[in-house]
Amino acid sequence: MRVLIVDDEKLARDRLRELLSDIGGYAVVGEAMNGAEAVEKTADLNPDVLLMDIRMPGMDGLEAAMHLMGMDTPPSVIFTTAYDQHALDAFEVNAVDYLLKPIRKDRLANALSKARKLTAKQLQEISQSQKEPPTRTHISVHLRGNIRLVPVPEIVYFLADSKYVVVRTPTEEHLIEDSLINLEREFGDRFLRIHRNALVSTTYIKGIEKSPAGTWQVSLKDVDKKLDVSRRHTASVRRWARNRPATA
Amino acid sequence: MEISEIKNRAHVWLNTVSKSLEAGLFPKADADAQETEFLPDFCNGWVILNVAIIAEMLAFVITLVTRRISLWGAENLLIDLFIISIFIQWIALASVAALCLARKYLNRLPNIRALIMAYLLLLCITILVSEMAIWLLWLAGRIDTPRPEWYGYFHLQNLLVSAIVNALALRYLLAKHELKLRTLSEARAKMQALQSRIRPHFVFNSLNIIASLTRSEPAKAETSIEDMADLFRMMLNENENLVPVKNEIEVAKKYLGLEMLRLDSRLRVDWDIGKFPRKAVMPVLTLQPLLENAIHHGIEPLPRGGTIGVKLWEENDKIHIRVVNPFPQTKLRQRTTTQSKSLENIRRRFQAHYGEAATLHTSEENGQFIVTVVLPTRGGKP
Repeated sequence: MRVLIVDDEKLARDRLRELLSDIGGYAVVGEAMNGAEAVEKTADLNPDVLLMDIRMPGMDGLEAAMHLMGMDTPPSVIFTTAYDQHALDAFEVNAVDYLLKPIRKDRLANALSKARKLTAKQLQEISQSQKEPPTRTHISVHLRGNIRLVPVPEIVYFLADSKYVVVRTPTEEHLIEDSLINLEREFGDRFLRIHRNALVSTTYIKGIEKSPAGTWQVSLKDVDKKLDVSRRHTASVRRWARNRPATA
Repeated sequence: MEISEIKNRAHVWLNTVSKSLEAGLFPKADADAQETEFLPDFCNGWVILNVAIIAEMLAFVITLVTRRISLWGAENLLIDLFIISIFIQWIALASVAALCLARKYLNRLPNIRALIMAYLLLLCITILVSEMAIWLLWLAGRIDTPRPEWYGYFHLQNLLVSAIVNALALRYLLAKHELKLRTLSEARAKMQALQSRIRPHFVFNSLNIIASLTRSEPAKAETSIEDMADLFRMMLNENENLVPVKNEIEVAKKYLGLEMLRLDSRLRVDWDIGKFPRKAVMPVLTLQPLLENAIHHGIEPLPRGGTIGVKLWEENDKIHIRVVNPFPQTKLRQRTTTQSKSLENIRRRFQAHYGEAATLHTSEENGQFIVTVVLPTRGGKP
């Protein structure tokens, strides 16, 4: 069985490696230091099982597992954690495999022998149990069964199409299946609603100007395009522009 | 003993220690349903027996202080006691039965309302039983009419006695309940104080790392356990002593050593320690929690880590401490709330030691989080 070890602490990864070699029958195909790296390496190395820490810098383990869910054949995930009372309770309820640090050899062997796939529902319930409401650090884009991660700070705007949402970065455009309402709820402190179909990153807004037709438009940094502000959102957008911090 | 066996034993030992630590220091927070209810379970045999005994004592008191009852024409005190006992037990047991039935409903109410409802219920039962007693006497032919001339007095007398006794009983139950609550909350506060000193994440991650080191670098594992023991001894010590600045720096360095094992090259620390008079003191564990805060909220969430700047100096009879750390720019809102919570603990401890003479300020500058602490050099009175 192919195993990918994900932990931000080197010695913790070493320990898992050693325990796995003690148990035998498992091949460590790679190591990752955070969630984003775990997703990328999973796409490259195609492991059967991930041993993944929850608390990691950048993208945490729960978010990484959430992104992996979108793959055609997602790997099984066994979470490892030192102490995370809320997550632990949620794991118990959802019968998700987890290991407590310091990790015991027999517990590890046991968990691996019955490693199972997670379901999206389980993960959702676990993330909701976290003290802080989950906010993704990346948006996952699926390309022919594979995954690309787009860091949220690089996103210029979300534009709703009939069925999809267009995710625009300074260099690329992707399609995702999500709703603007969900996205606004999750990233509301970073993005501004300017139209029924458009959510714009406040860090990418260059200015607000009036078009020859008399409607308001938002001009953007790094993207040569202007987005219409709907009449319903004009007041809130202009209010935002007035209170805009000088440094932004 | 073989080396491998020593290692194995060390492993087993570490696992046992971490298990018992987890059970002892960080129990699951169970919300005990019992603690909000002040009425005991009146359906319970022991409680019923207790009530019956108290009722009987009341019957004794009443028998002793009243003149004999002339209804039966008997001069015998024992017969008086017998009749009064039957009457009082009747009321008492009827009250217990009523409270047993009403308990579920009463416990759902806020305490004060439950108290009033229980009290009214008990008074109603007294009136009811008194009325039934008169009817029984009439049916038995002992009195001529169900409205004898002492009818009003009888009711009033019973109601007053019942009002006083029940008020005393409920007051006792409420006081007992409050005492229990206070003991519980004190115990919980102590536990929280302890937990705010020892962050479970740090403990279990460190144990995991040491378990890993026992194989690769046994010598390093050994010193780590020693450092951890020193640190724990400090943290578990309930006395909030003032210690020389030099000692506090030493403890902080031991702590940083353990964190560096975990975070490896992600954690870098830049010390700048000024000159201190030998008498300079600060509360034990002043520096360590500031560093822990910087690591937990600043370094750990950063994929590439960063450098913590620690500067200590003395100026105008004041100790100045300045801890600077980078922090992730995302999730700004969430970070500041949790960060201020752990700093609040530190601030509260300063308050306890120095009153207003110590200050703790936080600020943000160029993506760096800065905590500045100023303490009186020679300690101070709260």
